[in-house]
Amino acid sequence: MSNPTAESGASSYSGTVVAVNAVISVVVALGLVWVVNGFNVFYERLDRVSPTVEGGAIGSAFVKGNEMELLVFMVEAIHVIDVIAGLGILLIMFIHWGAFRRIAGRMRQPGDSRAVTDGGEAADEGGETQ
Amino acid sequence: MTNLDHGKFTRMTTVFHSLLAMDVFFLFFTGYAIMFNDELWWMLTLMGGSGSVAALHRVFGVGLLALVTFWVLMMVTTDTGRSNFRELMPTPEDAKAFVQDIQFVLGNAEERHPNARQFAGGTADEIPLLSYVGKGVIFIFAAELTMLSVSGLLIWSKAGLMQYFATQTAAMAFVVFHGLLGVVMIMGVMFHIFEHGFHPAFFPVETKAFIPRSMIPEDHEDDTEGTGIEQLELSPAWASATNLAGAATVIGIVSVMVASIYDTGFPVSTELIIGGGPSNLLLTVGVNMGVLVLFLGMVLSVYGNLVRIRWEQRMQEEADAESVDVETAD
Ligand code: HEM
Ligand code: HEM
Repeated sequence: MSNPTAESGASSYSGTVVAVNAVISVVVALGLVWVVNGFNVFYERLDRVSPTVEGGAIGSAFVKGNEMELLVFMVEAIHVIDVIAGLGILLIMFIHWGAFRRIAGRMRQPGDSRAVTDGGEAADEGGETQ
Repeated sequence: MTNLDHGKFTRMTTVFHSLLAMDVFFLFFTGYAIMFNDELWWMLTLMGGSGSVAALHRVFGVGLLALVTFWVLMMVTTDTGRSNFRELMPTPEDAKAFVQDIQFVLGNAEERHPNARQFAGGTADEIPLLSYVGKGVIFIFAAELTMLSVSGLLIWSKAGLMQYFATQTAAMAFVVFHGLLGVVMIMGVMFHIFEHGFHPAFFPVETKAFIPRSMIPEDHEDDTEGTGIEQLELSPAWASATNLAGAATVIGIVSVMVASIYDTGFPVSTELIIGGGPSNLLLTVGVNMGVLVLFLGMVLSVYGNLVRIRWEQRMQEEADAESVDVETAD
């Protein structure tokens, strides 16, 4: 007799597809990193020339970066999102904590004398009293 | 093994879940050791200082890129993936399940809605593949992990990023943005650990994410009304463990949220300041408690796999015993 299992193999993933996709994923990941590694400039050109080209002095780039509206907005928006998400997660957290307490109250309390086999297979209708 | 309920996931999904969890835990530990270095200085030191932590973070970052790509490929290239994709769409039942969950806690509803129920028991037929929380978790985690991967690649070479803005401060903004994105994820995972570690029927870990459904027997005389949860015995450790873990999770979430407001880094301060905000003792304790919850999650994930291995062995023994019976009968 074989083991009666849930839809064994009925809707599962083929091993070949898993293997092929795994290989592709690793190649894509390494490829992406290879691309962004080439995404680079010689730092002296960056620090010295760029601000002066704009007509500013050394240090003006620093202030300019701090005042880019898009970036300021981006960081402020994600701060707000973090707080909203945090409050939502806390709500769902308290709901689950409360629900778990209620569910626990319905279970047989530890030390109850009624015996049940582990896993409850043979225990219909709450098991038998010993 | 009292916490074996109906299975849900294929072996591919359970293995993927464990790999994803491990990788994300390490990204948390390395990433937030940098961002919350005020509170987690000891982790930074323990992992060899900021240089080595940043390098480690990048290694796990590459891992995440591979995992995210793999998941997308599986969803797109397989029939099972495409059909499961339909099961993650939210339905009106999910909204009802959320409302009913609140009612259940307040004592106005007798049962959790099938779309909220973690313990299926005798009601497995009514339970969808994913609960309303599960669907939310998938959407939020998928969006988060994608954005974290994209922004992580953007900040990989800061000099490369700077050339477009001609200033270092702009690159800092992207680093800060990347770190703040992960705050939703870190708070979400803390809740996820509580949800799947402290359900009274499954405590100390819900094995659904670890034992594939093909290994779970589905035959039972189903004559009980409802889930049959009254037949299970509550673990004696549940009450105190859950109070402790629940408190730590709440404190962790609140502290990480508050720390994320203070420990920013953009706009970059024009004065030299030591630390990034009020170096508050309370916040330090709180953020460390959050890290402790994550550690617990990592332990539970490993433990879930140990339970799976033990279960595999037991199934094997039973199968062996059966085949011996058959042989002697012949
Ligand atoms: C769960 C996913 C992730 C989380 C929670 C996370 C979190 C973080 C945090 C908190 C920081 C520090 C930010 C700061 O200094 O304020 C950081 C930095 C960084 N992350 Fe991530 N990250 C994740 C995924 C990734 C991925 C997928 C990549 C790469 C593809 C990546 C690449 C980086 C890089 C390059 C840095 C800058 C490190 C340095 O200073 O050199 N991260 N991350
Ligand atoms: C960074 C770590 C983790 C990530 C990113 C993650 C992600 C996910 C996702 C996306 C799902 C499917 C949606 C859902 O049903 O909630 C899931 C399900 C699940 N996870 Fe995790 N997980 C992590 C850690 C853990 C840990 C530590 C545990 C054990 C305590 C765990 C236990 C479970 C269980 C039991 C389910 C199945 C829920 C169901 O019945 O549908 N996970 N996880």
